Amino acid sequence: MMHYVIIGMGVAGFAAAESIRRRDPYGEIHLVSEEPEGYYSRPGLAYYLSDEITEKLLFPFTHKEIHTLGVTQHVARALCILPETRRVELSGQVRLSYDRLLIATGAEARPLDIPGSEAEGVVKLDCLGDARAILRQARRTKQAVVVGGGITALELVEGLRARRVKVHYLLRGERYWNNVLDPIEARIIEKRLKEEGVQIHYHSELGEVIQKNGRVVGVRTKDGLKIDCELLAVAVGIQPRIELAVAAGIAVERGILVDEYLRTNLPDIFAAGDVAQVYDPASGKAMLDSLWGPAREQGAVAGLNMASSPEEFQPYSKKVPFNVTRLAGLTTTIIGTVGQGRDDDLLGIARGDSETWRQLPDVLAVQSDFEVNRVRLLLGERRLVGAVVMGDQKLSHPLQHLIRQGVDISPIHERLLQPGAPLAEIIIEYWLDYQQREGHAA
Amino acid sequence: MYNEFTMGFKRLFHQEKTKRQTLVTGQVVPETTRCVQCGICSFSCPINIDVRRHAWLGQPVEDSHCLTCGECVKRCPRGVLSFERTHIFKGA
Repeated sequence: MMHYVIIGMGVAGFAAAESIRRRDPYGEIHLVSEEPEGYYSRPGLAYYLSDEITEKLLFPFTHKEIHTLGVTQHVARALCILPETRRVELSGQVRLSYDRLLIATGAEARPLDIPGSEAEGVVKLDCLGDARAILRQARRTKQAVVVGGGITALELVEGLRARRVKVHYLLRGERYWNNVLDPIEARIIEKRLKEEGVQIHYHSELGEVIQKNGRVVGVRTKDGLKIDCELLAVAVGIQPRIELAVAAGIAVERGILVDEYLRTNLPDIFAAGDVAQVYDPASGKAMLDSLWGPAREQGAVAGLNMASSPEEFQPYSKKVPFNVTRLAGLTTTIIGTVGQGRDDDLLGIARGDSETWRQLPDVLAVQSDFEVNRVRLLLGERRLVGAVVMGDQKLSHPLQHLIRQGVDISPIHERLLQPGAPLAEIIIEYWLDYQQREGHAA
Repeated sequence: MYNEFTMGFKRLFHQEKTKRQTLVTGQVVPETTRCVQCGICSFSCPINIDVRRHAWLGQPVEDSHCLTCGECVKRCPRGVLSFERTHIFKGA
């Protein structure tokens, strides 16, 4: 009987367990996670903070259903991996033997690197425990400061606003998420945040956390502005949790390097999800994603391969990354490569983010907008390489497929480039034609 | 021979037939790659269908109790759900 050990119970770990069980009904599956809550929807935390769902809703599966999967859960910290003896040591002096091991430890928030950042009242949004802590503290918070960028920063801003906390949002530069959104998109988001009562401070870098008796009472920016607050929420990016892998001698760069079968350089050890740095055929580089969909797919493929012999291995092919999210209440789809450069508000990657989004080659950008509805297309010579759809999402689905499948758009290339071109109409028309040609269902 | 009662009955029957036909010709389908299992769909369902489970499994909401009311489709923050015709009567 095979022994499978999965470290991490996020979506990659859970999908791997499901996949192993489908392939091997008798193998022993051990799931190791420090979080006592088990498997829950990490992206759902944003809606939990904003009071749109209850905590119970974060759990997609009942205990009974997880039990039916036939996994043994260990609420423990994995201390080290011993590849020579094929063992994993856990806290509580537990040792697990493995025939196949999956590292799906995910990523964690980067800490602030300024004086006072260890004070009580400095919060992040990594896990359910963090969300609970924010909600607990928000009850006695009148004013909060949020620093950072990307999706998580806005989840914090909006979550706190929904809890009637006055929010100051510090941006280092002159706009939000400047290496993914263009200036107009950023302004739309910022305007909506301001309408919700959020005070945005541009060109403001956090200098110091002011504390009293170990608690946050305010912050001071580098240019001397002092803001009183009881809560400081930080979302300056995430870092893959690679310490275990590094200590075990597994090859890493920013994340754990894996081959097309999601194997690491050590035998029978696989990696998947936010911790894995996966080869991206489009850019020719190994990239990090922090996206739920790819994490699930990687977990499923890794699980399948863990329960298969090498000749049956399935390759994982990294697809064009996309995410649908809500920014300041506005549904936004980001597909493919849409920006470049760096964002001073983030150190590396953020949650719900993909490094691929910022690999924009020299392409032409066209856009059209009406009030808050906006679409921006990044045009290569023969295909679309990226798109941002804000507000009205009619184009989201067609663009997702046109970009992901690399559909030849040369017949409409010229029309799209004409000044004032009705992009939405042209894309929809082309999409309907394409579906008919390919015999897709309407 | 028609009277008010039979006319009323026929109208009611016609309405019920139309409603049933609408229900069986359309269903809610998920696009799994967009779903993050946040649960807003299941939370919004007035008759407590676990729509999220269908989305995870990539299966249409074939529950015969589904009213196709559209609450889950409307409230999903990520555009996972849409209506699709079932073509159940196609060729009938």
